Amino acid sequence: MRPGEASPESVLIVDDEESVRKTFREWLESANLGCRILTASDAESALIHANQRTIDLAILDWNLGAGNDGLQLLEDLAVFNPDIVAIMITGFAHQATPLDAMRMGVRDYFDKNQNLDRDTFLRSVRRQLDRIRPARRERQLHQGLVAFRSALEKVLPLVRSAAVLNDPVPLTAAVRHLLRFLQQTTGAADGVLLVHSFEAGRSPAEELRAYDFSGALLAQPLVPFSRSIASGVIGMQEPVLLTEIRSTPGAVELQPFEQNRRNLLAAPLNVAAGIRAAIELFDKPGGFNEADRRLAAAAADFGTEMLRQALAERQTQAVLFDAVDAALSAGDSVAKALESGSAPRAEDPPPANVLDELRRGLRDTAESAVEAGATVRLAEAIRVLALRHGPHAVDHCVRLVESVRALLDEAAGVAEAAP
Amino acid sequence: MSDLPDVFEEVLALLSPERLLLDPHATGEGVSVCIIDSGVERAVLESKFASHPIHRVEGGIFTAESADPLPYEGRQSSPHGTTVADIVLSLAPGVRLFSADVFGPRGTCEVEVLVRAIRWAADVWHCKVINLSLGVPEQRMQQPQRRQQLQRAIEECYHNDILVIAAAHNEHPHTRSYPAAFAPPLLSVDKRLFTDPLQFAYEPSGQIEFSAHGRGYLGPFAAEPATSWAAPHLTGIAARILSLRPELKPFEMKTILYWLSRPRRK
Repeated sequence: MRPGEASPESVLIVDDEESVRKTFREWLESANLGCRILTASDAESALIHANQRTIDLAILDWNLGAGNDGLQLLEDLAVFNPDIVAIMITGFAHQATPLDAMRMGVRDYFDKNQNLDRDTFLRSVRRQLDRIRPARRERQLHQGLVAFRSALEKVLPLVRSAAVLNDPVPLTAAVRHLLRFLQQTTGAADGVLLVHSFEAGRSPAEELRAYDFSGALLAQPLVPFSRSIASGVIGMQEPVLLTEIRSTPGAVELQPFEQNRRNLLAAPLNVAAGIRAAIELFDKPGGFNEADRRLAAAAADFGTEMLRQALAERQTQAVLFDAVDAALSAGDSVAKALESGSAPRAEDPPPANVLDELRRGLRDTAESAVEAGATVRLAEAIRVLALRHGPHAVDHCVRLVESVRALLDEAAGVAEAAP
Repeated sequence: MSDLPDVFEEVLALLSPERLLLDPHATGEGVSVCIIDSGVERAVLESKFASHPIHRVEGGIFTAESADPLPYEGRQSSPHGTTVADIVLSLAPGVRLFSADVFGPRGTCEVEVLVRAIRWAADVWHCKVINLSLGVPEQRMQQPQRRQQLQRAIEECYHNDILVIAAAHNEHPHTRSYPAAFAPPLLSVDKRLFTDPLQFAYEPSGQIEFSAHGRGYLGPFAAEPATSWAAPHLTGIAARILSLRPELKPFEMKTILYWLSRPRRK
C-alpha cells in the first residue's frame, strides 16, 4: 500500500481459547465493520502480527496463560503502535487496575462470565473503531504528506537542474538533426545556433547562449546580443548572406566563433515573445549562394516551429513543476495544521532544525564528554518518554540515572563533583 | 493654342533634382525625423559624423507595459536601427533624429506599441517625417481592431502633414506587409540598386509606389540589399526637400517625388 492510502483498521483478537477466538471472529465478520480481523492464541503470535502491520484495536484476554497477562501484552504491542487501544476480556474483572489499564490504552472491559454477548461486544468494538478512525485517518494523512514531501524533495532538485528547464529553448533531437541537415546540404564547414532570451523578472533578465550543431553549449564568452550579427539578422527578418565579416565598433561586434570567417549565411528564428534565435553557417568553399539562402529560410521556418513546440512542452513541464512546488507548500501547511490541531506524537521526530541546533550546541561545548549524537539520542528518548507517560516517568528515570551514577561513583571511588 | 507656352511645363521644369536635391541648403536642417526601429547607437553615429557634427539623437524605448516611453540612453537594441539612422544622416546630415525603439530587449513589437510610438513621434516630438523600416506580417494584423488602430494612426499623420515612409516587405508582392500596405496615406518603398543614393524611382506595383537605393553604409548587413535600407534613403531625400520647404504636405511631397523621378529631357 502506498503511504497515505486508506487501509482498513486491523483488529487483533488474542485469546488462548480457540472457541473464543472463533466466536469473536464470527461476530466481527457478520457485522461487516470494514476492518481486517487477525487472531492470535498467545503473546508471541500477537507480537508477530504487530510487527507485520499496525494493530489499531486489540481484543485481549486478561489471562493468556503461561504466565502472560493481557496488560503486559498490550504494553508490548504499544511499542509497535503507541496509539493502540484495547478491549479487555476477563473473568476476573475485579483484578484489573482500571487506572493503569486506561493509561495503557484499555478502553473497555468485558467479563466473560457476565455481560459478554454479541450485541454488547459489537457495540463496544464499533465505539472504539469510531474513535480510532478519525485519528488514524489523520495519522495516515500525515504519514502520506511526509512521504510525499520526502519524495518530492528528492526529485524536484534533480528535475530543476535538468538542462531542459535551464535552457531558454530546449534543443530537441529534431532541431539538432535539422541543423546538421542544413550544414550538410549547404556544404558549410560548421555552424552555430544562437538563442537569446529576455525575461523581465529573471536575473539576469537577458541570456545569450550559443550551441554547435551537435547541440553542445559553447562555453566562450559572448558579445552582447544587441551588438551581434545575430540580432542584426533578426532585425532583417530574413536570411542574410555576408561575405565581408567585419565588426563596426560600437554597433556590431563579432562573436568568437565568427572571427576569421570567409563567408557567413545567417537566418533568423522568431521563436516567441522574448525568445529569438539565429542560425549561422560558416565558410562554405566557394561561398553561399541564393539556393543556400532559400534552404536556410526554409530550415529557419521549420526550426522556428520545432523550437516553439519544444518551448511549449517545456512551459507545460514548468507549469507542472510549479504545481508540484505549490503542492509541496500546501503539504507543509496541512502538516502544520495537523500538528497544531492534535497532540504531538511520540513517533514523530523533532523538526530537523531543532536537532541540528541541539547538535551544534553540544558540539560547541568543549567540556562535553559524551558524543553529540549519543546525547541527542538520550534527549530524544526522554522526550518520547515524557510524551508517552508524562513528567512523572521522566522524574523516575532521572532518579534511576542518579542512582546508577552514585553506584558507579562508589564502585570507582570517585568523589562527587562540586556543582 | 499649341504655340502657347505650357505654364505647368515651365513651372515643373524648375523642379529638377539639381535644384532640389543638390541645393546646398538641402541638408535636412530644421527637419525632425523619427526612426521607429530597434534603437540607435548614438555614440557610433556621433563618431562617424564627427567632422560635421550632427544634432544629438534623442528618443525613447516603447514597451507594451508602459504608456510613456522609457528613457533612451543612446543605445541600440539591435544594429538594424543604427544602420537605418546612418542612412538618413548620410543623405540629410542636418536632420534632428529621434529614435523610437519599439523592439527593446524582448525583440518583439506589438501593433499597439507601434501605434503608440507613431503618435508620440507626432504629438510629443513633433516630427515631420517618420521612417518605418519594419513590417508587421499580415497574419498579425488579422484582428480588424489592430488594423484600424494602425491605419488611423497613419491617417492622422497624413492629416497633420507628417510624412510616413515605410519599407515594403522584402518578398513583395507575395507578402502583404503593414503598414506599407496602407498606401496611399504613406509612402511605401521597395528596394533597387541605384548608382547614386539620391536616385529613386516611381514604380507603382500593388501597394508599393516608390523604390530607392537598397544598400546601407554601416555594419556588415548594410551591403545586403533590403527594403529596410531603401526606406531611409527616401526619408533622407524627403528631409532634404523639406529643409527647403518645411510646410510641404504629404500629398505635395508625393507629387514632387513623382515628378523628380520622371525621366528627364536632356
